[in-house]
Amino acid sequence: MDSNLAAGLAMIGAIGPGIGLGIGFSKAMEALGRNPEAAGAIFVPYILGLALTEAIGIYCLVVALILIFAGG
Amino acid sequence: MIHVEIAGETLFTIAGFAVTNSMVGAVLAALLLLLGAWYVTSRSALIPSRMQSLLELPVEWMAGIVEGSTSRWRSYVGLVIALFLMILVANWLGLLPGVGTIGIYHEVDGHEVLTPLVRPAGADLNFTLGLAIITFVVFVWWGVRVNGPVGYLKELVGEPRYMAPLMFPIHLISELSRLVSLSMRLFGNVFAGEVLIATMLALTTATLFVIPLAFFVPAIFLGLELLFGAVQAMVFALLTMTYITMAIAEHGGENAADEDAHGHLDTEPDSHPAASPA
Repeated sequence: MDSNLAAGLAMIGAIGPGIGLGIGFSKAMEALGRNPEAAGAIFVPYILGLALTEAIGIYCLVVALILIFAGG
Repeated sequence: MIHVEIAGETLFTIAGFAVTNSMVGAVLAALLLLLGAWYVTSRSALIPSRMQSLLELPVEWMAGIVEGSTSRWRSYVGLVIALFLMILVANWLGLLPGVGTIGIYHEVDGHEVLTPLVRPAGADLNFTLGLAIITFVVFVWWGVRVNGPVGYLKELVGEPRYMAPLMFPIHLISELSRLVSLSMRLFGNVFAGEVLIATMLALTTATLFVIPLAFFVPAIFLGLELLFGAVQAMVFALLTMTYITMAIAEHGGENAADEDAHGHLDTEPDSHPAASPA
């Protein structure tokens, strides 16, 4: 029971990456709107940026899942 | 209550070597790739058939991206494409019906538990960590090869030499954290996908009233997993490429032919901001 609560608390950490992903996506769309021809140049760094940001949220998720499925 | 194992379950042991169901998944993915490679190379034609174009598409696409990274792209393009294809096939293999549901029942603490015969390889940290170690060894090797062992250490120490006691551990940790982040990202995504689908199935089959939903709701998430599997494979391969590019190009002085550390970002060199209408 305690580990379930801890898992829920661990997921609070997903707020930050969520905001970060939103900012990243909005900026990418902005750049695309200003210069649609740059779509190919934006794509790779955009995906890499999202992946690096998302990793933080994934850490929280891994901690939460370990707490649920392997915790006491 | 859904039950998902964090670690791969042991199916049988060969002379003390435990064979887990995630290993079966990885070997199946590798066999599928070998089969595809054999098919393409045995009957490849200058004018490709539909099947050949389909199998060549991801390779050509990935090669096109890697080509723009540095002038030495030919020496690591194989690794990047191999990582991409392996993770892609391993992820998509996990979405096939039967994976994770066909298995052997055995009794644990009084109730029966299913041990699946095949488990998607990415849902096991051993698989993702193994791939991350390959990437780590390769980009450290490139750093040592381009800068020399002394140059590589100098790079770790940093520029103002008196800051070394502070900067050396930070640089060391940042190199090692790539290992953790690469493996954890892939494991977290694939494992979370497994849990997500299991949860959706458990939710929609909880009561008789919502049973019709069980035909639609998991299907939506399976489609989502199809997308995530491809994106995560791409992310792993592209990050490998980026790390190698950074190791090669950090000291541009002796390799004037190489682009700077961010040179790989320009996949379309002809699209300059100056070209945009005023």
